[in-house]
Amino acid sequence: MLISATSLSLRSGTATILDHVDFRVAAGEIVVLIGPNGSGKTSLLRALLGLVRTKGEIARKPSLRIGYVPQNFARDRSLPITAGRFARLFAKRAAVEASFERVGIAALGDHQLASLSGGELARVMLARAIASKPELLILDEPLAGVDVAGEAALYHLIAQIRDEIGCGVVLVSHDLHVVMAQADRVVCLNGHVCCEGKAEQVVADPAFAQLFGPHVAGELALYAHRHDHVHPHASTGSA
Amino acid sequence: MDDFLWRATIGAALLGAAAGPIGCFVLWRRMAYLGESVAHMGLLGAAIGLLMGVSPLIGVGVLAIVAALLMARADNGLIPAGSFVGIVGHAGLALGFILLATMETVRTDLLGYLFGDVLALSNMDLVSIALAGAVIVLGTIFFWRAWLMMTVNADIARAEGRTNRFAEVAFLVLVAVLVAIGLRVVGALLIVALIIVPPAAARPLARTPEGMALWAALIGASAAPLGVAASYWKDIPTGPSIVLAAIAIFLATTLGARISDAVRARA
Repeated sequence: MLISATSLSLRSGTATILDHVDFRVAAGEIVVLIGPNGSGKTSLLRALLGLVRTKGEIARKPSLRIGYVPQNFARDRSLPITAGRFARLFAKRAAVEASFERVGIAALGDHQLASLSGGELARVMLARAIASKPELLILDEPLAGVDVAGEAALYHLIAQIRDEIGCGVVLVSHDLHVVMAQADRVVCLNGHVCCEGKAEQVVADPAFAQLFGPHVAGELALYAHRHDHVHPHASTGSA
Repeated sequence: MDDFLWRATIGAALLGAAAGPIGCFVLWRRMAYLGESVAHMGLLGAAIGLLMGVSPLIGVGVLAIVAALLMARADNGLIPAGSFVGIVGHAGLALGFILLATMETVRTDLLGYLFGDVLALSNMDLVSIALAGAVIVLGTIFFWRAWLMMTVNADIARAEGRTNRFAEVAFLVLVAVLVAIGLRVVGALLIVALIIVPPAAARPLARTPEGMALWAALIGASAAPLGVAASYWKDIPTGPSIVLAAIAIFLATTLGARISDAVRARA
């Protein structure tokens, strides 16, 4: 087990954000965290990362190497820095070059970070996070701003990287269709853990239908049966 | 040229050179309000120092460092952290003024900390500015990477275990030391200008963080002779004149960048 959280609870004012949440990630496992807005997905990730203090217990593998892509990355035009230099703050030059190559953004290394488009920035953030070969990748809406074709290719890439370096992955995303296809386990959150398991089990769970509505649940149930692979034409999509 | 003009030029240039690189972080992290409030508290420190009969510089230094460390813990709550820090700083400023009113004899000394008194720098002052400046520059070099990571994204740095608590404390202490020595030179009202204007002037010239820091040091240092010369020539106050020199350089680089962008867009 890379990280294991027991009975996490978090309140903000009078609102309960997390209510006795148990969560764990094993090496080589892709866990997809889903839930409606305000269901505590980002809070749970931030708690796992030690960025917010919660009640409950979090046990980590000793000196766990983490790669993190935060939900919003605010760029500041007052700081002149290239995308490559930004990544090299956190990893060695050769590792950064390899991961930029891998994500298909070798040409962006010399570009100013503040001048990248949303989709380019998302790729840079992903490349930076995987450059130091983390044992645990924590990705919070990592592909916001990436076009549909690029998205499928990048989710596929995340799964490939998991296969190569054997890292655990926690992924929060709104694109239920694409994400569920890559998940080993889906955890459905709404303050508490509503249901969890394989994608097919989760979409068939009454709790899931209640949370997302029967329409989405039905559609995804069909999808989970039909599409358990990534189409080749989708994975060759370019930027 | 008189000795006191040389001392003013050298003192302000050393201060400007030391302020430039660390000032970049103050600019990037939008912490100008912190410098402002630390300066206000420093003034209270000078008043307390004078009142207790110890050196005002010790009062300034101690209060500035304590204030910086405490105020950096402010969090965005119902009011923004910056406003909270501003309230604390103004409390210090108001208290400083009240203490000032009770001390008829030292009033002029204290006014020197409000407006600065660069022409009154002694050789000892120069030595202390040089020493403090060297510590600030060495600290900036030493913590460069850690500070840069925190600047780019504090959450990533923390989540991936790249922060060290000491780097953040060192940043606050060094900014406080800078403000404290700056009070003697340009005063509490203008010290923040010397911290953020040279980096702002350097921004259009730089493509890397290091480039910006070097330009800021150079611009900060050259504002001193320009300002002292203007002050001598036009018989205007020296501290404000140094700040205006820095602002003139800022206008020049900003306009220059605009013009060169426009020319390039046409070509």
